[in-house]
Amino acid sequence: MIAFLIKRLFHALLVMFVISIIAFAIQDNLGDPIQQMVGQSVPESEREALREQLGLNDPFVVQYLRFAGNALQLDFGYSYIFNEPTTEVIARHLPATLELVFATSLLIVLFSVPIGVYSAIRPRAWLSRLFMGVSIIGISIPVFLTAIMLIQLFAIGVSWSPFPADTGWGAWLNDLVSTEGGMPAYGRGRPVPVFGTWATNFASLEGLTYLVLPAISLASIMLPLFIRLIRAEMLEVLQSEYVKFARAKGIPLRRIYFIHALKNTMLPVITMGGVQIGTLVAYTILTETVFQWPGMGLMFLNAIQRSDVPLIITYLMIVGLIFVITNTLVDLIYGLVNPTVKLTGKPA
Amino acid sequence: MTTPTPRVASRWSRFRGSYLLYSFKRDLVAQLSLVVFIALVAMAVLAPWLAPMDPYDLAQIDIMSSELPPFWVAGSDPTYLMGTDAQGRDLLSTILYGARVSLIIGFGAVALQALLGVSFGLLAGYLGGRMDAFLMRLADIQLSFSTLMVAIVVGAVVKAAFGGATFSAYAVPLLVLIIGLAEWPQYARTVRASVLAERSKEYVDAARVMGFTSRRIMFRHILPNTLSPIFVISTVQVANAIISEAALSFLGLGMPETHPSLGSLIKSGFDYLQSGSWWITLIPGLVLVVLVLVINLLGDWLRDVLNPRLYKG
Amino acid sequence: MTLKKTLLASVIGAAMTTAVLPSVASAETTLRMAYDADPVSLDIHEQLSGGILQLSHMTFDPLVRWTQDLSFEPRLATGWEQVDDTTMRMTLREGVEFHSGNPFTAKDVVWTVERLKRSPDFKALFEPVESVTAIDDTTIEITTREPYPLLLNLATYIFPMDSAFYSGTDADGDPKDEIVKNGNSFASAHLSGTGPFTVVEHQKGTRMEFERFDGYWDDESPGNVDHIVHTPISENATRVAALLSGDVDFIAPVPPNDLERVREDDDVQLVTMSGTRIIIFHMNQARVEAFQDPRVRQAFVYAINQEGIADRLMKGFATPAAQFSPKGYAGHVESLEPRYDLEKAKQLMEEAGYAEGFEISMMAPNNRYVNDAKIAQAVAAMLARINVTVDLKTLPKAQYWGEFDDRAADMMMIGWHADTEDSANFHEYLTACPDADSGAGQYNASNYCNPALDKLVAEANLEVDLEKRAEMLQQVEQTLHDEAAVVPLHWQDLAWASADNVMIEPILNVMNFPYLGDLVIKQE
Repeated sequence: MIAFLIKRLFHALLVMFVISIIAFAIQDNLGDPIQQMVGQSVPESEREALREQLGLNDPFVVQYLRFAGNALQLDFGYSYIFNEPTTEVIARHLPATLELVFATSLLIVLFSVPIGVYSAIRPRAWLSRLFMGVSIIGISIPVFLTAIMLIQLFAIGVSWSPFPADTGWGAWLNDLVSTEGGMPAYGRGRPVPVFGTWATNFASLEGLTYLVLPAISLASIMLPLFIRLIRAEMLEVLQSEYVKFARAKGIPLRRIYFIHALKNTMLPVITMGGVQIGTLVAYTILTETVFQWPGMGLMFLNAIQRSDVPLIITYLMIVGLIFVITNTLVDLIYGLVNPTVKLTGKPA
Repeated sequence: MTTPTPRVASRWSRFRGSYLLYSFKRDLVAQLSLVVFIALVAMAVLAPWLAPMDPYDLAQIDIMSSELPPFWVAGSDPTYLMGTDAQGRDLLSTILYGARVSLIIGFGAVALQALLGVSFGLLAGYLGGRMDAFLMRLADIQLSFSTLMVAIVVGAVVKAAFGGATFSAYAVPLLVLIIGLAEWPQYARTVRASVLAERSKEYVDAARVMGFTSRRIMFRHILPNTLSPIFVISTVQVANAIISEAALSFLGLGMPETHPSLGSLIKSGFDYLQSGSWWITLIPGLVLVVLVLVINLLGDWLRDVLNPRLYKG
Repeated sequence: MTLKKTLLASVIGAAMTTAVLPSVASAETTLRMAYDADPVSLDIHEQLSGGILQLSHMTFDPLVRWTQDLSFEPRLATGWEQVDDTTMRMTLREGVEFHSGNPFTAKDVVWTVERLKRSPDFKALFEPVESVTAIDDTTIEITTREPYPLLLNLATYIFPMDSAFYSGTDADGDPKDEIVKNGNSFASAHLSGTGPFTVVEHQKGTRMEFERFDGYWDDESPGNVDHIVHTPISENATRVAALLSGDVDFIAPVPPNDLERVREDDDVQLVTMSGTRIIIFHMNQARVEAFQDPRVRQAFVYAINQEGIADRLMKGFATPAAQFSPKGYAGHVESLEPRYDLEKAKQLMEEAGYAEGFEISMMAPNNRYVNDAKIAQAVAAMLARINVTVDLKTLPKAQYWGEFDDRAADMMMIGWHADTEDSANFHEYLTACPDADSGAGQYNASNYCNPALDKLVAEANLEVDLEKRAEMLQQVEQTLHDEAAVVPLHWQDLAWASADNVMIEPILNVMNFPYLGDLVIKQE
């Protein structure tokens, strides 16, 4: 156990070291941060003085060692665009992303388990087929496109009149296919401050309305994956000998499905879930871009566009850390649920 | 070496009698998907002859005919069936060319993934030991970061390293490289698992006893037996690669707007969604979804039919 | 699909109807505003940028300021007279108090100008000023090295700072008047001016709060805003959505794509003005031999449809240009109009021997000016009509300026706003013969060089008779136009929008310095 954690810690450090080296190697190509800081009519001599002052003229190794030394004290430097420590910038953007991921996870858990289980128990029912059909469509629509369509439908609104509007049924059908729009689709609105940099969207109904569309689009890509996974695992478990045996013994079906089978289904689902949290973070970049959700993903993209090297490096390091931590946690949980798995650090 | 003719004939007859064809004939969804897929690929390949306009030829573009709606909306121009984009490009032509770019990158990236993944998987599975540990560790770490995240980071790094301008000039090979590098572990894991299963089988021992080299055993004996999972993965991976490319382009890390893929077309239209020009985004979006959907449906069907041992997790 | 949608619609509908409406402000009049960014610092000498100058006008007062029709209005200086060719005497307002309670006197002005001359961003602008001396508490004399006709323009940049407040050392032992770029100086976090508002709170990038200054000297100001909350919203669509949903009362800038939406909304008002920032393309004569032929340059100007760009890409949100100087500037020549004429362009190319066209490279930023990359694409398409093949590259601004300094492409885009609000400034930076030592032509990526024009501008800069000077500057514009030194595209328009009861129109100007101290919010 301890050896396992130490090994993981070593991995984490290795990953971060690689990230920081890469990020450092590319910083020259990301553009000149001085251009962002001074007015246009400032002469070159002043720019050069500023470059010298910020240490941008030092050799690569010197700059890297200075960075690494500070990083060990959790000081990743100043963001060029925000003019404050990068850790503070991240701390300010982190809650928005976490809340979005949380809301999405909630949607996934609430919907994937019942739907997945149902379509495994009744694989031939029309509703199951519908769920499967919708889920493969869901997988096939890129998350940013789902987001765009949701904006068109519920934020901008669509007024179609394919049916004759002068008849009663036509008008009714037209109403049915048209949407009002008006859903907030940009930003977080006015989240309620909780403490420090954390302001929440969960405290007011207004805040929740801002969360609806981004969370749905983010869930749209993950939910089908989980439904399909749960269904597949559950189907396998239901075929297994002990379920057949339990059935033969006359244990109530409900008990078999929800106590015995589901428990065994969840094991691979948890592993997959851990891996997917990483994917979720990647998808937040897309979702946050479309909805201008002021989280880390949007911040990262802005940092790339405005060549804010310290901020880019900090983001990559922190996301790397999140990945390593979630993976370690997943392995630990897996070990708890299924004691036969040995935590030796070898690939399972 | 051998005379190919009788073998081909026997393969053809074997195919005709195969379960694959049998189940295909009975599956309407698979048939429809294949038809749509072939139609889309054909349109993309034949774009230069089908498209009413060459979207890469700037002299054909007129700013004064920008943002025209498609033919069924009031205010449209019959010259532009699907309307025009913000620069005045014919949208239909741009979509055809864009689908071509998306497909080239999709297939190219999968070819590279397969090449890397299969080689690494064979090496890891057959040689074992340190090589195995190292490659699988690498795959683990990369997978734990999720392939899209890796693609975005690699994309950002490559774009920064080459500079935005050079990146745009070589966007197609670079995107193939980025997506190929980001997603090889899927293949490697599956191939490795198959190799481990095959390696212990008798025919491999026999080959070894007969004195064949490792390379020959790997490529001539083990590899053919791992083909069916590779085939299934490849279908899904093409769909994934197309989506990844679209996502990268949407983030501005992919194809430039002057040479758009479906993803960058969607991105360039997004700015105009709020002002009412929905077609620039939604029509290419629909094409992208249909393309990915039929590939996924075909992949689903293949998996059900071939039922290979896939690496889970 | 339908099932999913109707289900969603009903859930969302329920959420919408019960959503809590924003509460109405109390008796105190509060302005909730959103610009695209907040000032990088509270130190008004740290950066020469629009954001900093907007802050300056809120919390400080200049000696004089521009009116809407580009004339001067006395603020902290009540009168001025030219003593001799190089000396101006200014009388200062009496009874003015800083936020700290310190009285405002002539020595604050002297102190401020000395600090300006130390600021990396402002020192070039204040180069012509030799010295400023306090004659008595309410009189100063500004001496210039040479006769300088733009001294009043310069005085709009002098926002007297509270010299007593900014003197001494702070807790870290650093001098309080230190100017530190991107760092933590005393002045970057503390502020004391004479302006209508004091800064109550500044959370960088998220929120800034202002309170009306009780002791504000200007009793005649109609302004009735007691409290300002500024939430910067960098994303265009978000900013517009915030105004339309009533979350904020005042936004700027309004992006071109959303102008129609804002104009059509009954509860908000839109104010647009033709701006003063000119967008041009340089044609590099050092890199492309063909550009040395004026006929080729003219052909390029004739081939580019400025009105098409302004109309279609900019949605009418730009004023097509045929010269640098916008209306109201001394050098503006009324008769110059955009020259789009494709046939003429082809003919000129043929005359110059380039009927077959040639190949050039082009670069433009993609996040600096409104629609910059799209404009560049459109220009590339237009040039294809005269058989010129364009290899276009667009880059983020952080990378673009490095390439610009290297003159890395044959045609490069740049936007320019004259800090002095004066025509000569355009020529000095954009079309003067490049000279690394004097800094002339620092942004002249055309490598255009006409010594006669340089001489004329130099003379104009010593000409104190403003009418005569205007004539000289107009001659410069005319020549640049005739020789097609660059391709002028348009002046980017400015747009602001506010709730209907917020009377923004009278306080706006083409410099984009809203005088929020004078803002009136009508009470319902």
